Amino acid sequence: MNAPTPTASLAASRPVAEGGMELLLWILVWSELVVFGALLGAFLLLGLLDPPALALLHAQLDLPLAGVATATLLGSGFFAARAVSGRKPRWNLVAAGFGGFAFVALKLAAYSHEVPALTTVESRLVELYFLITGFHLAHVLFVAVIILAVAWRPTPLRVAMVATIWHVVDLVWLLILPVIYLG
Amino acid sequence: MQPSRDIPLPLVLGALLLATGLGLLAAMLLSPVPRGFVIAALTGIKAALLVVGFMRLQRESSMLAGALIAYAILLSALAGLRIALAG
Repeated sequence: MNAPTPTASLAASRPVAEGGMELLLWILVWSELVVFGALLGAFLLLGLLDPPALALLHAQLDLPLAGVATATLLGSGFFAARAVSGRKPRWNLVAAGFGGFAFVALKLAAYSHEVPALTTVESRLVELYFLITGFHLAHVLFVAVIILAVAWRPTPLRVAMVATIWHVVDLVWLLILPVIYLG
Repeated sequence: MQPSRDIPLPLVLGALLLATGLGLLAAMLLSPVPRGFVIAALTGIKAALLVVGFMRLQRESSMLAGALIAYAILLSALAGLRIALAG
């Protein structure tokens, strides 16, 4: 039985639920979080086992720069959320994508003085630091490019999907911050 | 159009930025035990705000969104515990 529904308005308000995309997105979201959760769990454990390496790492990390990078990524997430709510999706996606590129630039600036100081150190913790932040950086760069591609021809479904992935990347960074930087 | 139950997006962003600033201040100023507690609490709040305020997907399944927040809070709590224990 098909009840008469206002199809157009339903499609506009709940685009993610269409075509089984909701389930696919949840699988993707949890895959990302489980992988990063395992890496962050390993970092926490190694930090407890090797406090001198953790102190050495913390001495090289730029906390204010990490704060600015966090604010940049959160601002970018704000624009992605605005795009989903239907407010000028193209321009909000462009702003979100460039926010992602700004985050990449800030992180590369941080690496430029961390890499020379840390590559001489033989430590699993330092390797894990570069693995976690580098893997996250690759996610930011890749999804920012996808966001700009979606901005070229935005549809409610595409915008909702790419914004969801972007928020997961934001969420992962919010978890990286206390585990690696604020400890 | 946003449903009326949504938190306004600028308010979500403002709260997230405020919590981030407070977290950085806590990391620089507090001793290990309160620092661990404050950082864990602020990170949990930020994760919940991001999921509830920004992610549209949370409207489709509140149970999975709740699990997502719980998972983030668990990781935050572990980070806070490590800070409190090891400084």
